Amino acid sequence: MKVGTLTWEFPPRVVGGIARHCEGLAKALVQQNHEVHLFTLDFPGSPSYEEMDGVKVYRASTELGHPNFLTWVLLFNHFLTKRMADVVHSVDFDVMHVHDWLAAFSGISFKHYLKKPMVLTVHSTEVGRAQGLHSPDSFSINGIEWWAMYEADRVIVCSQSMKNEICDHFNLPWDKVDVIPNAIDATKYQTFVDRGSVRQRYGVGYGEKLILCVGRLVPQKGIEYFIRAIPNIAKRYPEAKFIIIGEGWSRDILEAEARASGQNRKIQFTGFASDQEVINLMTSADVLVVPSVYEPFGIVALEGMATGVPVVASQVGGLSEVIEHDRTGLFVFPRSPESIVWGIDRVLSDPDHAKWLTENAKEKLHKAYSWEAVAMKTVEVYRKVVE
Amino acid sequence: MGENHSFRSYNDEQPNQLRLLIMLHNIGATESSKSLTIKQISEWTRMEAPELQIHLQKLIERGYAQSFRSEEIDKYHLTIDGIRKVLSLYS
Repeated sequence: MKVGTLTWEFPPRVVGGIARHCEGLAKALVQQNHEVHLFTLDFPGSPSYEEMDGVKVYRASTELGHPNFLTWVLLFNHFLTKRMADVVHSVDFDVMHVHDWLAAFSGISFKHYLKKPMVLTVHSTEVGRAQGLHSPDSFSINGIEWWAMYEADRVIVCSQSMKNEICDHFNLPWDKVDVIPNAIDATKYQTFVDRGSVRQRYGVGYGEKLILCVGRLVPQKGIEYFIRAIPNIAKRYPEAKFIIIGEGWSRDILEAEARASGQNRKIQFTGFASDQEVINLMTSADVLVVPSVYEPFGIVALEGMATGVPVVASQVGGLSEVIEHDRTGLFVFPRSPESIVWGIDRVLSDPDHAKWLTENAKEKLHKAYSWEAVAMKTVEVYRKVVE
Repeated sequence: MGENHSFRSYNDEQPNQLRLLIMLHNIGATESSKSLTIKQISEWTRMEAPELQIHLQKLIERGYAQSFRSEEIDKYHLTIDGIRKVLSLYS
């Protein structure tokens, strides 16, 4: 099958989970002998065309800008369309696959121009990200999301909770939506990591506890609740160190919260870290906390499970489907520092139980979440619309 | 950080420094070949040059922007961390 994929995020332009999802899916499709042409935006230092493990990647340069975000999105969609127009004459696509509303304008144009079916993967919604629609831009994005779902021949989401959310919020027909969970590349996590050396680099001494939190520094990730839990964790585990990996617009606010916690000298914000460094830290940590308040899937929990770190996560959205409470990880209440303290203490105070959780998690991971399986299920969706 | 601020609108209530970072991204100042002078940034953002200079200096100190001198004029653009910070708003 010849697939035209549109996404605003693709490595090295990595912001959230979309880039990783598109990379994993595209490479797995190629391994199953499908042809993937992926159209995305440029990023400093990246070529305008390259092949990545057989995936043909075309990057569009946005030659015009505008301070307003929505206007900028419309402009970059034009350049994405232009980049794609160079290719459609020589490739007879079977299906267009659009990821999220940001690339929808371009995808919808080509759907009509080429008379080809369009599949849309909804990774999250504006109403979920912003926990409501609080600005004119939010209302507009919400409308574009509806439009993209309306135009799509089929819609894919990564969890049952996302299916519930979009069918409820957008009145989408239940049978138009397929649930295909995210996955991870398990081979990435099988490399040797020198835990002692990694911990030393981050100033975590022998016998000290390393408590890790990974995510974009935005409110939906709930990192503020983790920071609020730190004083009570530090009381019980005075030797604990806390590392927060990620970048985001609310970093200043979270750093201020950390300073106000009275435990600032034990908290490190690393900023954005490479995939390998995330793996190094997860493998070296004693517990991974995922305190999200909105999470369509929660790929970070899978990554943690793959590295063998015990995962303590909010019971929200897709996380509720990824983790089995007290079997493959621990659930805590969302927006509850007290509950986060409980979860971390449960793991740190009973190493045997923590080890059991991680063994169960690894077993479940290998059975349920592979890109190969995601690609096969996605092709089934493609077949439905092509036929 | 109170509950009411947890999901505030990023368009209406952002501090000027973050607002400037977003604008620099959206108008395309994302690499050295697309860097802009204070005058150009001022025209786009309608912020006065002295205020702009203060915010830009802070963004540089935090690693989100960088500047270089070209033909006796300072020009500014975002770093990769700056780009990621902006994109986190929308992803």
